[in-house]
Amino acid sequence: MKTKLFSLCFVIILILSVSLTGCGSSNNNNNAETTEKPAANATTEPAAGDATAEPAAGGADISGKITFLTNRTDMIGKEYDEYVKRFNEKYPNIQVEFEASQTDYNQQAKVRMASGELPDVMFIPTIPNSDLPKYFASLDDLGLTDQITFKDFRSHEGQLYGITTGNSTSGIVYNKKAFADAGITEVPKTWDEFLAACEKLKAKGIVPLASNFKDKWPLGSWAYDTPRLIEGKADFPNEKLNTETPFTMDNGYGKSFSLLRELNEKGYLEKDINSTNWEQSKKDIASGKFAMYYLGNWVINQVIGAGAPADNVGFFPLPYDNSGTPTATLSPDFFYAVSKDSKSLDAAKAFVKWMIEESGYEDFAGFISPIKGKESTLAQLKEFQSTGVELVEGTVDDPKVTEISNKAQLDLPAVVQEFVLAKDPQSVIDKWNKSWAKAKKDLGY
Amino acid sequence: MFGTLSYNKQKNIIIVSFLLIPLILLGTFTYYPAIKLIYYSFTNWDGYSPEKPWVGLANYREVFSTPDIFLVFKHNFAYFVMGIIQNIVAIYFAVVLNSKLRGKNAFRIMLFLPYIMNGVAVAFMFGYVFDTTNGSLNMLLNSIGLSGLSETSWLGTEGLVNYSLASIGFWRFMGYNMVIYIASLQAIPRDIYEAAKIDGAGTFQTLWRITLPNMKAVIQLNLFLTVTGALEVFDLPFVLTKGGPAGASQTYVMRVVDTAFAYNNYGLASAMSIILLFFVVFVLLIQQLVLNRGGDK
Repeated sequence: MKTKLFSLCFVIILILSVSLTGCGSSNNNNNAETTEKPAANATTEPAAGDATAEPAAGGADISGKITFLTNRTDMIGKEYDEYVKRFNEKYPNIQVEFEASQTDYNQQAKVRMASGELPDVMFIPTIPNSDLPKYFASLDDLGLTDQITFKDFRSHEGQLYGITTGNSTSGIVYNKKAFADAGITEVPKTWDEFLAACEKLKAKGIVPLASNFKDKWPLGSWAYDTPRLIEGKADFPNEKLNTETPFTMDNGYGKSFSLLRELNEKGYLEKDINSTNWEQSKKDIASGKFAMYYLGNWVINQVIGAGAPADNVGFFPLPYDNSGTPTATLSPDFFYAVSKDSKSLDAAKAFVKWMIEESGYEDFAGFISPIKGKESTLAQLKEFQSTGVELVEGTVDDPKVTEISNKAQLDLPAVVQEFVLAKDPQSVIDKWNKSWAKAKKDLGY
Repeated sequence: MFGTLSYNKQKNIIIVSFLLIPLILLGTFTYYPAIKLIYYSFTNWDGYSPEKPWVGLANYREVFSTPDIFLVFKHNFAYFVMGIIQNIVAIYFAVVLNSKLRGKNAFRIMLFLPYIMNGVAVAFMFGYVFDTTNGSLNMLLNSIGLSGLSETSWLGTEGLVNYSLASIGFWRFMGYNMVIYIASLQAIPRDIYEAAKIDGAGTFQTLWRITLPNMKAVIQLNLFLTVTGALEVFDLPFVLTKGGPAGASQTYVMRVVDTAFAYNNYGLASAMSIILLFFVVFVLLIQQLVLNRGGDK
């Protein structure tokens, strides 16, 4: 009897363990995706604007029913309802419906494109720009072309097909109280001032910069943003295509990686950078145990969510050199597009235009406005813009560069890790230059 | 209606109908994907485009012309060492818990429990144990006076990280090995022990001359599981270190996964998987040869 019970338990335990293992791995995948791509998740919704009507003329003459496929399922029935109410004050005859996307927007959008049943308003999935005219209507007649950021990002042969829903930048997110406690009265404007601020924080027992080095993805700013700012060329990452030695100690990559290496050598990062904890770091920034992040502006809301009062969180551009003229990168989120075959093309365009100009969605989502030079109403972004920072737009990745990178198994944040940990950084650079040159040759570019 | 069929026919119908479902499942979820994998290893498919261009043996050539792909196997050595220790400890516990001991079922369950815990959950849990500044292990070392050791970066030191990770595997799989050993111990006839006892054999002699030889087949099985496990480690380093610091804890399977999903090279990744398959078979053949040297026919 006893043995029977024991073996019964045993079997149940085995079955449970098998099913648990199954759940576990899929959970893990989801987690990995959500944590590593915060920017993409914090995305958006569409809008259509009226292409032909002048905004001042009112929109009573445009009518129709449009559907908008959105990934912001959390906003349906809440913020979206309020948007539609305001939208209908201006365009009373347009009926807007929201369709919630499945978890993977990109994939779902591609399936709908293949079946030819596109919603009127949607976001552009990852397709080459040359395919845009096959699915989407030109948005040049919205009259926004010269005001918007990233007008060339989703264009083909001079026609505009997609407008960014909002933009992100990266910079130093910091705990104001930690700065004040350490006696830092104004935000550093040069690299030397930045180091001096770190020294003051360190002397106070505060970890100056939370790198989250171990998790690799938080090094993205050092790997993708700073190099191109140092070079001052938006197209710098794509210039790798023309060289056998994309990494040198004195180009953007070497200089940017060296900045992080210097911070580590001086002890301005976590005590053990190989043992960091992303979730805990948010709480530590909020409580002032850690002082700074160098990440995208999406992290501001997460720090506030981790318990920091909103007015205690500040944001300024990283002063990567001693010139004193701040620059920062600007990166687009999803792009609105209008289906070419929409039955209510004008209504859809009117909605997109309204979403960009009047909805205030960018403030809700924590983005910088898609309209050039429009000041944000969010305190942190306002502080960021008030430094006089010049926002440098990025360009589309050259597919050939991506292809070579994949062939060479080049993962820039991983290179940053090796560079910082290596005794001799030059050897890391040589190693990856060699892989790059070989992959480039193998592919015949 | 089956009454009119001959006994043999009835037997065949029953055999076929019982086997059909398991065979379909096996075919769908094991053999079909395996055949696809072999097919992909001869293409340079990127994972999403409809074309899968045939490239012959180019992927295999690329793997063998990049020797540093195989260098990661030296990280697996730590798992192998820990696996051997794990088997020795498992035999010890099996022998102890197979004797007349009060509450032995409770001990068995306690030792077996870690195995049924989800691997990723275990990894997260040990993330807190091994944390350098706030980890419970360093806190413990500090509180018992070993403050020199309590600054150790368990997952951030190149020579140490694989042993730290492997020790989690030890914690997790020792109970599993133990349960298998207990099963085999119970199959050894009691009268052999009685006879040995009458002949005056001591505890150690009984263990060495009776217990271990009788468990040989099961020890081989467990070593087989240990070796394949050591060669195919993935979840622990993937969750805890992402292969860091600077690739020091990267394993072969992690490289395969990166090649397929981060660098969109399914063809090469498939070839790497097939090579791992042959590598495992090769290592096991050597193991068989070594262990069967005495001959036990």
